[in-house]
Amino acid sequence: MSRLIRGELIKLRTTRTALGFTAAVALLTLAIVLLTVLSGDPRTIPEKRSALAIGSTISALLLIFGVVGAGSEYRHRTLAPALLVAPGRARLLTARIIAYGLAALAIGLVMTLVTFGIGVPLLAGQPGPDLAAGDYLRAGAGGLAAIVLSTILGVGFGTLVGKQVPAVIGAMVWFFILEPLTNLVDHVSRFTVGQTATSIGGDTGGQVLPLAAAILVLVGWAALFVTAGALVDRRRDIA
Amino acid sequence: MGLAEGAAIVADGLTKRYGDLTAVDDLSFEVRPGAVTGFLGPNGAGKTTTLRMLLGLARPSAGRGMILGRPFTELDDPAGSVGANLEICGMHPGRSGRNHLRALAAFAGLPPSRVEEVLELVEMSGEANRRAGTYSTGMRQRLGLAATLLGDPRVLVLDEPANGLDPQGIRWLRDFLRGAASEGRTVLVSSHVLSEVQQTVDDVLVIHRGRLLKSGPIAALTGEAGVRVRSPRAAELVAALERDGATFSEDGEALFVKGRSASQVGELAHAAGVPLHELVPETASLEEVFIRLTSDSAEGSQQ
Repeated sequence: MSRLIRGELIKLRTTRTALGFTAAVALLTLAIVLLTVLSGDPRTIPEKRSALAIGSTISALLLIFGVVGAGSEYRHRTLAPALLVAPGRARLLTARIIAYGLAALAIGLVMTLVTFGIGVPLLAGQPGPDLAAGDYLRAGAGGLAAIVLSTILGVGFGTLVGKQVPAVIGAMVWFFILEPLTNLVDHVSRFTVGQTATSIGGDTGGQVLPLAAAILVLVGWAALFVTAGALVDRRRDIA
Repeated sequence: MGLAEGAAIVADGLTKRYGDLTAVDDLSFEVRPGAVTGFLGPNGAGKTTTLRMLLGLARPSAGRGMILGRPFTELDDPAGSVGANLEICGMHPGRSGRNHLRALAAFAGLPPSRVEEVLELVEMSGEANRRAGTYSTGMRQRLGLAATLLGDPRVLVLDEPANGLDPQGIRWLRDFLRGAASEGRTVLVSSHVLSEVQQTVDDVLVIHRGRLLKSGPIAALTGEAGVRVRSPRAAELVAALERDGATFSEDGEALFVKGRSASQVGELAHAAGVPLHELVPETASLEEVFIRLTSDSAEGSQQ
């Protein structure tokens, strides 16, 4: 398994996709922190938590990173050469999921560094009560967890669809259009991918599940898409 | 590596259906080690689909394929057993050829130094840092071939490997495939350009519309049609041939002798003291044989 993970990590490192997403995350994080602190003027504890909970937002972008990565295997036909030296499809998919999880962790660390390096000093200058250590932990560790889980979910979704462009469009429609519509029904939106990631990332201002329940539900979503992707992948003809 | 016993690749009733369309229809054949086998048929005959089924990339609707006695996906050392390059094997346009191979080497548990060796073999070391999107078809073919060689495999399966190669590349490929076969490896090469493989292959499998039309040694397929022979003393040559009981016909200034090899005709002329100006064994071209086989099959299906 370790050699499969090593191969997937080489693939991740040797195109500009991961680098591009890292740059986008760094810039987006910077923009969100500056906007929420400087123009949002957070004063209460929930407002300040929300200002640091960048992982809640960035996890949506990283979900697309996972979809793009898994879809790329089909778009550029790189799955066939890999399967010709390592024919175990489930093992290869597992290695890809682990590699993308590790990449998400690295991208998440960039996000955390930018958030804390700029957000914490800015928040310190704001009036109102200060955040506790637990709040920082939730924003840091929770943010990373939300990002990694969303990326894995994305790899599962991309594998399930099996075509890159339809997968990216499908994911965007699902997570950015259909999920927000669930707000129209009471209590349902708390169980969506977006709202569970929001909760885990530390933005607890809206209608969200408590942390443990949110982790459980998001893990469930990721497991659902990964399992469905693996089942389809196992029987799929590579063309 | 000596010649292995038995067939290295076995297709046993392989069938692939897409709805009402049968792309591969109950295909059975064997490929022996120590030889180059041409897998021939026009575009759309089902060659790539067959190779995909043999290599675990597509599920057969019926039948099964075995490589070295087992289904490909159950081999203990896939990269060391089989090196395959199919038309459906791609490269990310943004990744260099070298990094593409490094990832595959990692999958196979091989060191990066092996990547340099195979790049050297296919004469691509100098170009391997360029992004794959900038490669010509010929360069992609060479890199695809390099990928198949990573594990130093006993079986090579190459789908249209001559596509996009320049004449030097084709000659290089021919020498390479002959060399691999002489080392006892099994080489299966698909092609729709028959003139390319005629000089390279020992055995042929001819398929058309997913069905096997012919299999066996290429010599048996093309046959020695006869020997064209020309002499300034034609009458004496005719007399010598008649004494020997050979069948022949006049072909312009030359004679066309059937049922005798070029060496037999040469020795006959020498014994009779007749000088020869031309002595050419003539075989039916694979192209002709192929057209005959496929037109027979088309007539058969119309009946």
